Amino acid sequence: MSFLNIIRRRLVLLIFVVFGVSVVTFVISHMIPGDPARMMAGERASDETVAQMREALGLDRPLHIQYLTYVGDLLQGDFGVSIRTQRPVMDDILRFFPATIELAVAALLFAIVLGIPLGVLSAVAKDRGIDHLTRTLSVTGISTPAFWLGLLLIYLFYGQLGILPGSGRLAGNMSPPPFVTGFYTVDSLIAGDWAALRSALAHLILPALTLGFIHLGVVTRQIRSAMLEVLQEDYIRTAKASGLSRARIVLDHGLRNALIPSVTMIGLAFGDLLYGAVLTETVFAWPGMGNYVVESIAALDFPAIMGFTVVASTAYVLLNLLVDLTYMFLDPQIREIG
Amino acid sequence: MKRLLRGLLAATAFCASAALVGGGVDPAQATDLHTLVIGKSGDPDNLDPAVTMTNNSWTATYPAYERLVRFKVEDGRGTTEVEGELAESWTVNEDGTVWTFTLAGGHKFADGSPVDAEAVKFSFDRLLKIGKGPSDVFSSVEKVEAVDDRTVRFTLKEPFGPFLSTLVVDGAGIVNPAVMEHEVNGDMAQGYLADHSMGSGAFQVASWEKGQRIVMEPNPHYGGPEPFFEQVVIRIVKEATARRLQLEKGDLDIAEEIPVDQLSAMAEVPGVTIVDEPSFYVTYLYLNNERAPLDNVKVRQALSYAIDYQGIIDGILLGQGIQMRGAIPKGLWGHDPSVMQYEYDLEKAKALLAEAGVEDLKLSYLYAKTDPNWELIGLVLQQNLAPLGIEVELQEFAYPTMRDKLDTGDFDIAVGNWTPDYADPSMFMNFWFDSERHGLAGNRSFYTNPKVDELIREAATGSDQAERTKLYQEAQEIAVEEAAYVLLFQRNYQFAMRDDVEGYAYNPMLLQIWDFARMSKSE
Repeated sequence: MSFLNIIRRRLVLLIFVVFGVSVVTFVISHMIPGDPARMMAGERASDETVAQMREALGLDRPLHIQYLTYVGDLLQGDFGVSIRTQRPVMDDILRFFPATIELAVAALLFAIVLGIPLGVLSAVAKDRGIDHLTRTLSVTGISTPAFWLGLLLIYLFYGQLGILPGSGRLAGNMSPPPFVTGFYTVDSLIAGDWAALRSALAHLILPALTLGFIHLGVVTRQIRSAMLEVLQEDYIRTAKASGLSRARIVLDHGLRNALIPSVTMIGLAFGDLLYGAVLTETVFAWPGMGNYVVESIAALDFPAIMGFTVVASTAYVLLNLLVDLTYMFLDPQIREIG
Repeated sequence: MKRLLRGLLAATAFCASAALVGGGVDPAQATDLHTLVIGKSGDPDNLDPAVTMTNNSWTATYPAYERLVRFKVEDGRGTTEVEGELAESWTVNEDGTVWTFTLAGGHKFADGSPVDAEAVKFSFDRLLKIGKGPSDVFSSVEKVEAVDDRTVRFTLKEPFGPFLSTLVVDGAGIVNPAVMEHEVNGDMAQGYLADHSMGSGAFQVASWEKGQRIVMEPNPHYGGPEPFFEQVVIRIVKEATARRLQLEKGDLDIAEEIPVDQLSAMAEVPGVTIVDEPSFYVTYLYLNNERAPLDNVKVRQALSYAIDYQGIIDGILLGQGIQMRGAIPKGLWGHDPSVMQYEYDLEKAKALLAEAGVEDLKLSYLYAKTDPNWELIGLVLQQNLAPLGIEVELQEFAYPTMRDKLDTGDFDIAVGNWTPDYADPSMFMNFWFDSERHGLAGNRSFYTNPKVDELIREAATGSDQAERTKLYQEAQEIAVEEAAYVLLFQRNYQFAMRDDVEGYAYNPMLLQIWDFARMSKSE
């Protein structure tokens, strides 16, 4: 199957996934007892004020009509108005989603860039000191609560050493770069604002370390075991026999093949990172989707919950597509047989 | 093999060090002398005074707008009495239905246009037309008229005693009518004011990076003396430990919502001062007066005697509060220092329960995670009522669900917090005890007593404070005697501040609100 076919098929699938997810979320968020109109009007508000709010929010209409109205608006790119903030949901998502993606990408980069060499190292030096050290590190990574690690890092690097900022995305006295992608690192690069870029990077380090640490453990272990397996293969022995250098054998023949199963795992890890960012965002006052969604759920703010669900499920499907394409790129067999 | 290992090691070390230092280091800087930085735990929801209902948003909106009246400050402390802000004087007709205000000259919006009677009329018309939460306290307003440039007249549907004190609330902020240039699809410029300000207050919202910070800058045409601060930054720092650390390092001047157990440790840090004041923020138990066995006054009284009030205050609040005496909190006019207060007396409780002739009771306790104290209170309740042979079952729900149950009366005992919207005992008495307000609207114990109804309704329409106080205290005596609620505690309001910040005047009605224009910092 060709790349194009896969992409086409997945995009059709995307429509069904988003539709299904939106129906389920819509129904569930409307079934939960609790009246958002009263929440908005204030608990002590008179019944008239609440009724007025309910009408303004369209909550007085039957559920299926509400859903159809919602979908109709959604198709025109209108995510509705948040009940909690009374601002357009689209505006909020545009502000908060890029922050979470930026953090998740940085965390993933950290996990991959550090995890792959560590995994290879660990496999090559199996059962030697460096292997034990790496395995200890990865077990620590997997079992360390992000909340605790985050506070520890803040205490150390901000509180004691004073070399890294403790919260936010930018220094308190700086204005964010003009909005293009919503990633401060990319936007400051586009604007040529080096001070903002430095600040954005500095603010990214501790949260990315915190969020990435768990996945560093996962990546390291995955690469290690895949490498160990691959290094037992016949073609490695053949490569050895034909006198190739150790480095070429490990990196070219070994790592490349060990990476294939890892791609799926890394793709899934990225999804995990998106959802798992809540705690890290809280500790580092990172203005991402995590906090936004938690607060929206607590307030039964279903336009916001729906908006997030639609965007997140779309992102997830696209991510899976990306993983599969990478897979095909890495493994010619899949490309040809399909 | 050795070479490969070394190479990989070097690569790993490089990546690690690049991750650590590569980004460039810019530790947050100590705050500038003419900048005030406040750290709060959550992002405001909306900055439109006609929309937002949270103190958390009022941090930004209250200083951005002026109102007809404001709270008096006496000897560096805020009081619950009002004086003119935009208004220089006012009169009220005999039956209390027509209020006429004369505006003081010299107040200007940030664009330089004067605050006139039209602007006042516009603001109230807009508030009532939008009809969201903040409009509710003004439901007695029939119409607002601009008599001339400096005279504005409010006509009420019926006499409403607390009217003057409602004009201090955030929703009563006067908005520049020019805001209508930003109206989209008839939204009365709600979209624009959601994240901008257009008032005549000392500071205006310059920018709001959602989830990160709000920057406020002085109104160049402000009617009062020029403020000391050139900038006020409200930063969102969600985690309490992080706020604490940033305040201790001088990156914040004020840190809101620090847990009590951390405050005492912070008090030891040089340069940090803890503001710790009694508030009108009360916590109490709703006893479902319509459901057996709590429909029996003796059972309710027994419960009120069985609770270890001081134990709750010491154990849960770490001593940062006082037991309530009556429904009207200490510090608010109308408070009665002589009204009966229940105290822990197990024998009396047992006797009352025996008189009621009930035994082996099982009661549910409804709460949510909204306030971490609620669960602890439930545990204390379980323990306190056990000697009476009452089994308490803790029922936790998500807050929206809990609210629904409160509204329909689907509980035995539930817990809640209450703060007044305006400085008037009616906020407690009429809301808590009027039988027409059963449910979430205020009377959450579903208490009914025609005599009490009569007294509090009369008190609410009067305009003579002494007379109203008498009526409220009479009603309060009955309601306390009948143990409509278990009145737990009035807690302290606390936050941490750098000790070089000056000019803060605490007002129990203005929690999370700072009068930036009166504040400064010493070098």
